[in-house]
Amino acid sequence: MIEVNNLSFGYKKGKPLYRNLNLHLPIGSIYGLLGKNGAGKSTLLKNFTGLLFPKQGELLVNGFIPKKRLPSFLETIYFIPEEVYVPSLTINSYKKLFAPFYRLFNEERFYGYLNQLDVHDTGKLNTLSFGQQKKFIIAFALACNTKILLLDEPTNGLDIPSKIQFRKLISSVFTDDKMIFISTHQIRDLENLIDNVIIVDNGELLLQASIGEIGRKLSFKTIDNLSDETELLYSEPCLKGHAVVVENKTAQEGQVNLEHLFNAITENPAKAKAIFNTK
Amino acid sequence: MNNTFSIKRFKLLFRKTIAERPVQTIGVMALLLVLSLILYVAAKELAGFNAAQNLSFIWGLAGGGFFMASFVFGYFGTNASGSSYLTLPASYLEKWLCGILIAGVLYLIIFLLFYHLMDIAFVEAYHHSLDPSSLSYKQQYDSVYPFDLTGRIAGKVYAMFLMLAGAMFTGALYFNKSAFIKTAIFCCSIFLVLFGLNWLTATMLFGHINDAGLYNHVTLPLGKEEATLLMPASTESLFLTTTLYIIPAVLWLLPLIRLREKEF
Repeated sequence: MIEVNNLSFGYKKGKPLYRNLNLHLPIGSIYGLLGKNGAGKSTLLKNFTGLLFPKQGELLVNGFIPKKRLPSFLETIYFIPEEVYVPSLTINSYKKLFAPFYRLFNEERFYGYLNQLDVHDTGKLNTLSFGQQKKFIIAFALACNTKILLLDEPTNGLDIPSKIQFRKLISSVFTDDKMIFISTHQIRDLENLIDNVIIVDNGELLLQASIGEIGRKLSFKTIDNLSDETELLYSEPCLKGHAVVVENKTAQEGQVNLEHLFNAITENPAKAKAIFNTK
Repeated sequence: MNNTFSIKRFKLLFRKTIAERPVQTIGVMALLLVLSLILYVAAKELAGFNAAQNLSFIWGLAGGGFFMASFVFGYFGTNASGSSYLTLPASYLEKWLCGILIAGVLYLIIFLLFYHLMDIAFVEAYHHSLDPSSLSYKQQYDSVYPFDLTGRIAGKVYAMFLMLAGAMFTGALYFNKSAFIKTAIFCCSIFLVLFGLNWLTATMLFGHINDAGLYNHVTLPLGKEEATLLMPASTESLFLTTTLYIIPAVLWLLPLIRLREKEF
């Protein structure tokens, strides 16, 4: 569980990146954190892991204050930054040196995940390509069985088959006693993977909702003529006319297009906040 | 779970630190010892035994300690390795102790053992090379003896080691990138500023001076002769206590606080 109450954070005095941010993220979901470049996605993840400290407010992760970086807290989270670090070790040596720090590490699953991601023992890890290194760390992180897994731009550097493997693996290992938190600006990579969406922009939380709630409150459709719709949240021309996002006034739950959702929310923050009751 | 210190976790961390970057830890340590040997041999040939012993001891211990200290906390050159280090489930006390143990204790013991054995071997070889029937045998024999590891010069080098290694431990945690170079520049700047201020103060007080030892003495010209003014014993003792104990203690303990407070 991640509890954020009135969190403020900024790198420079007087220039806050987040102001009074509130989030309540229970375990048992795959969260997608979406935001533009420089919106503070990585910063938020670093606050969750205790790499950066909030300037104000309260932050609790798994019941711990992250900034204390207690071993019992660090054992419950695994953070994969955008660029991963692998030392000059073989897969086995890495496992021998790093795995004992995580009591729930499962060796059998680790090799299984490596297999699924097509990472094979071919010498030192630092000689692997960036994508392979990233897949190795993802496999290791998943095998650590931490309650919370935080991934910052996990699909950056992965080729198309690897992105598919990554999505499959994440969905197959996810259980209700875990939380996976993925920050990305490559929205399409998260399609059909996440069940909760968080959108941040200009230091503000614009949306925190489940895919189901979004499908109930917004409608993603294609129309012939824009003048048919009065209250557009977003529109873009497409082959069959115009792809639009409007408030869903029916009770029917529709399909969510994450990319359109992101554009709709960031272009109409006030309206979006009102629809989703975002504080 | 003990969040402050666990011997099991510390052993894991120690093993990981050594094995994760063997080139930087074992390799550099071995290289520093070899360099000390080369320096000893070269200086012995060029300037004699005394210079060789002093030079290789100073560079090997103080310089080597500074170099070794730059590796143990040197994870912050990249975002990935820094994050990996700080989020590794071990306490900041364990991380600090591990770094201090490798560069501050282990290197010191290994270097002293190596240096002493090397020094004894060279001195023995020299003694054996002398002709006992020579008239100057006794004089030549007594002119070279093993370096006294508990002597006055050694004491000064230990103080330098404590100061420089401590500065590097701290620098590695304050300067994320190129910490070694930045700390070296910082140390040189501090020394130059202190030396300059000391010289300036002495010049202001005494006019023309020949020499001003840093918080130790001032040498004044007296006609064709010169006279040395020593610092009052109480003031000198204060200076020595500060440089020998207080500053090194602060520099070695600061990384512990920094590891706890470091944001990355």
